[in-house]
Amino acid sequence: MNICGILIHIQPEKRDEVTSRLLAICGVEIHSVTAQGQVIATLEEDNEERTASSLLAIQDLQGVISASMIYHHSETEEASPS
Amino acid sequence: MSLTRREFIKNNAIAATAAVAGVTIPGVSAAADEEIRWDKAACRYCGTGCSVLIGVKEGRVVASQGDPDAPVNRGLNCIKGYFLPKILYGKDRLTKPLLRKADGKYAKNGKFEEVSWDEAFDEMAKHWKKAITRSLEENQGKGVDELTSRVGMFGSGQWTVWEGYAASKLMKAGLRSNHLDPNARHCMASAVGAFIRGFGIDEPMGCYDDLEHADSFVLWGANMAEMHPILWSRLTDTRLTKPGCEVHVLSTYEHRCFELADNAMVFTPQSDLAIANFIANYIIENRAYNQAFIDQHVSFNQATTDIGYGLRPDHPLEKAAKNPGKGKFNPISFEEYAKSVAEYTVDKASKMSGVSKEALLKLAKTYADPNRKVTSYWTMGMNQHTRGVWMNGLVYNIHLLTGKISEPGNSPFSLTGQPSACGTAREVGTFSHRLPADLVVANKAHRDFSEDRWQLPEGTLNGKVGYHAVLMHRMMKDSKLNTYWQLCNNNMQAAANMNEESFPGWRNPEVFVTVSDPYPTVSAQAADLILPTAMWIEKEGAYGNAERRTQFWRQQVAAPGEAKSDLWQIMEFSKRFKMEEVWPPELLEKAPQYRGKTLYELLYANGEVDKFPFTGEIKDDRGNNYANDESAHFGYYVQKGLFEEYRRFNSAPDIIKKGHEMAEFDAYHRARGLRWPVIDGKETLWRFREGYDPHVAKGEGVRFYGKPDGRAAIISAPFEPAAESPDKEYDLWLCTGRVLEHWHSGSMTQRVPELHRAVPDAVVFMHPDDAKRRRLRRGSAIKVVSRRGEIISTVETQGRNLPPEGLIFVPWFDASRLINKVTLDATDPLSKETDYKKCAVKVVKI
Repeated sequence: MNICGILIHIQPEKRDEVTSRLLAICGVEIHSVTAQGQVIATLEEDNEERTASSLLAIQDLQGVISASMIYHHSETEEASPS
Repeated sequence: MSLTRREFIKNNAIAATAAVAGVTIPGVSAAADEEIRWDKAACRYCGTGCSVLIGVKEGRVVASQGDPDAPVNRGLNCIKGYFLPKILYGKDRLTKPLLRKADGKYAKNGKFEEVSWDEAFDEMAKHWKKAITRSLEENQGKGVDELTSRVGMFGSGQWTVWEGYAASKLMKAGLRSNHLDPNARHCMASAVGAFIRGFGIDEPMGCYDDLEHADSFVLWGANMAEMHPILWSRLTDTRLTKPGCEVHVLSTYEHRCFELADNAMVFTPQSDLAIANFIANYIIENRAYNQAFIDQHVSFNQATTDIGYGLRPDHPLEKAAKNPGKGKFNPISFEEYAKSVAEYTVDKASKMSGVSKEALLKLAKTYADPNRKVTSYWTMGMNQHTRGVWMNGLVYNIHLLTGKISEPGNSPFSLTGQPSACGTAREVGTFSHRLPADLVVANKAHRDFSEDRWQLPEGTLNGKVGYHAVLMHRMMKDSKLNTYWQLCNNNMQAAANMNEESFPGWRNPEVFVTVSDPYPTVSAQAADLILPTAMWIEKEGAYGNAERRTQFWRQQVAAPGEAKSDLWQIMEFSKRFKMEEVWPPELLEKAPQYRGKTLYELLYANGEVDKFPFTGEIKDDRGNNYANDESAHFGYYVQKGLFEEYRRFNSAPDIIKKGHEMAEFDAYHRARGLRWPVIDGKETLWRFREGYDPHVAKGEGVRFYGKPDGRAAIISAPFEPAAESPDKEYDLWLCTGRVLEHWHSGSMTQRVPELHRAVPDAVVFMHPDDAKRRRLRRGSAIKVVSRRGEIISTVETQGRNLPPEGLIFVPWFDASRLINKVTLDATDPLSKETDYKKCAVKVVKI
């Protein structure tokens, strides 16, 4: 299990198109978007490789000014009680 | 409602992210995870100095978070942060010493075999002792200013503060060799040179708070968007939210910062010298200088010109130079200074640089406008420059002429590439000419003071400046430096002109090379002995970032296998030497108490370093416990002892150079770092200005106290051409540098499979018309050829780096495409820093 909290700064005037492009990336969920163009997103993905490629895709996306990793948790689910 | 563990963790991720953005999301709040021990650590990568919270469960890092309490990154972390814990867990971590052997014993051309630490150090000590014996013979009857040595060490701006200190003490106090230089020579030396010449004291006067205070930002050869992403996001915030804020970007090719640029300028390599002089000229012609400031706080000087290119003395360029290596500058009047820059008109600067007159004037007006606060940033574009010291100085000249310095938002700021180039390499003084706290080996008073701190008899410290990074490789090739120990960096890949200097030097049978590294880097593979190293949070550490902030962390996890920290290695190795083997009898005569002792006893078990007891665990104030492998091994709190002894150089009442004061050891484990000078527990944000800097007395306003007269030096320096420029045959400029995904030589980031797959190879960024002219397309296989060597790669005409016609950009992280076979080892003759940004190449289809 890989869960990342990501803060993404997007060009505010392109809000709709950029957020829909973000949502097209595997594992991305958007929880809030501020008027200044700050997107509070999570990336949830069990496969390590897809996690990384999604992360790299986010920051290379057109309309994304910067993407910051805020929180990351990685553990094997069997090992943890639910 | 009970949450699943997955939901619980996700909630925490959302809450942490929302908190950094300053928003609340209904129904989401963070909750403590009892299974995880959280603690802070400074990031392992760049010089920004972000603080990261590390979550450890059952001895393994499972979680990380941008530290919300850190003033530097305020909860943010760049995307590389995700891969940060993964650098510890690369599949090919080294866990045992490896020695080249044939028929059961060491052989220069043998194959690597696993050996014990004992065998590794025995073999290494044998070669070091042989070299030291030769040096002792060669130094008989010589004065302390003429001492030579055949042993050398190549250290790092990624060393912890105490690793640098312990290394400096071993080499300079113990082995009396000044052949200690850090890889920071390749990245920061020009910045240091200009600070010392201009201000008499190293490191920036401003701090990261300028990112919110400035009205205009000027990037002079820094790709902050990729190399300092967190600072870039703070800058972006200011640009997007502060009315009238603007960003000027200067570079020799277009990169990601250009997306935010209000004034984008692509200039011909080396012409930054002309642009900076034009701005000074514009300010003078328009009487936009701050008369009161220059009357009270500035002196005017002229640099010695025609100073060569730091190549071997028999190189034609060195022979042709009138004043090779001369750094002397002489006082001139303001009128003489004005005359010296008068030729740099906007027409001339535009013609030389290829930048439009409109753009140049817009830039000059920004600096000239008394109502605009301007912060200038630069990194390798300016430092890796055969006139890097001059160029740094020319930007200070602009800030000094206008008085735009040492106050919020007005800041010339040299950014750092490595996490502790400032804290370790520069402040501790691991350069071949330096001692701790800005002291230098060539100054007798500085040596006397250092000998007192280190309990050495008078005349112990070697007064002759040692070999710098580039010279070390030349001296290895020439068999004058016979042992070389590289720690915490990858110089075989990093140093320029590998074919002609680095490789022949390392593989010379007269030289024994040891490399300490967590991974089998290009350097490790070219070594004779490889020592497996504990890295980052596998040890207690301290880094100092670019804004003078010293930050500590505790050991979070254990190192794999038999890997040991550089600190352990340095201290343990010193036990192999008896004083009689390293000091001549006449020196021991002056200090008979050291007879029969080991270097370890002289340097570390000396009543200072070993005076803090270690009780088996390190506790924090939240009740958590941490291991400390070095202290457990040596039997005292090693890191604390070394730091407190180091503090006697920068914070004792009788120090000879004020301005570097630091707080006591324990304070740094509590704080999110403190910016020196720290006086009475208080950090300093802007130096040299009354009200911010306690060293500036009431009523003085501004005082550049690093200089005896309290005045900063404006030093005029003209345009001089690059060491090698394109010609008919080698018709392109080559500029090398980094990419976001990989840090430096890739020795850590290339171990993360996802990063490696995302950006596996170094490609050649090229203008589409340059490609077309050579009948090349995106993806074409090519050779990049210089007078020194060649590499095979592929063409990239798109993407984030867009060079102008006539220039290619090649990243240097790729161990399979070593661009430093191609580069030239021309250096700034004053700073000895290599110019990795300019040489002439051709590109041919294969």
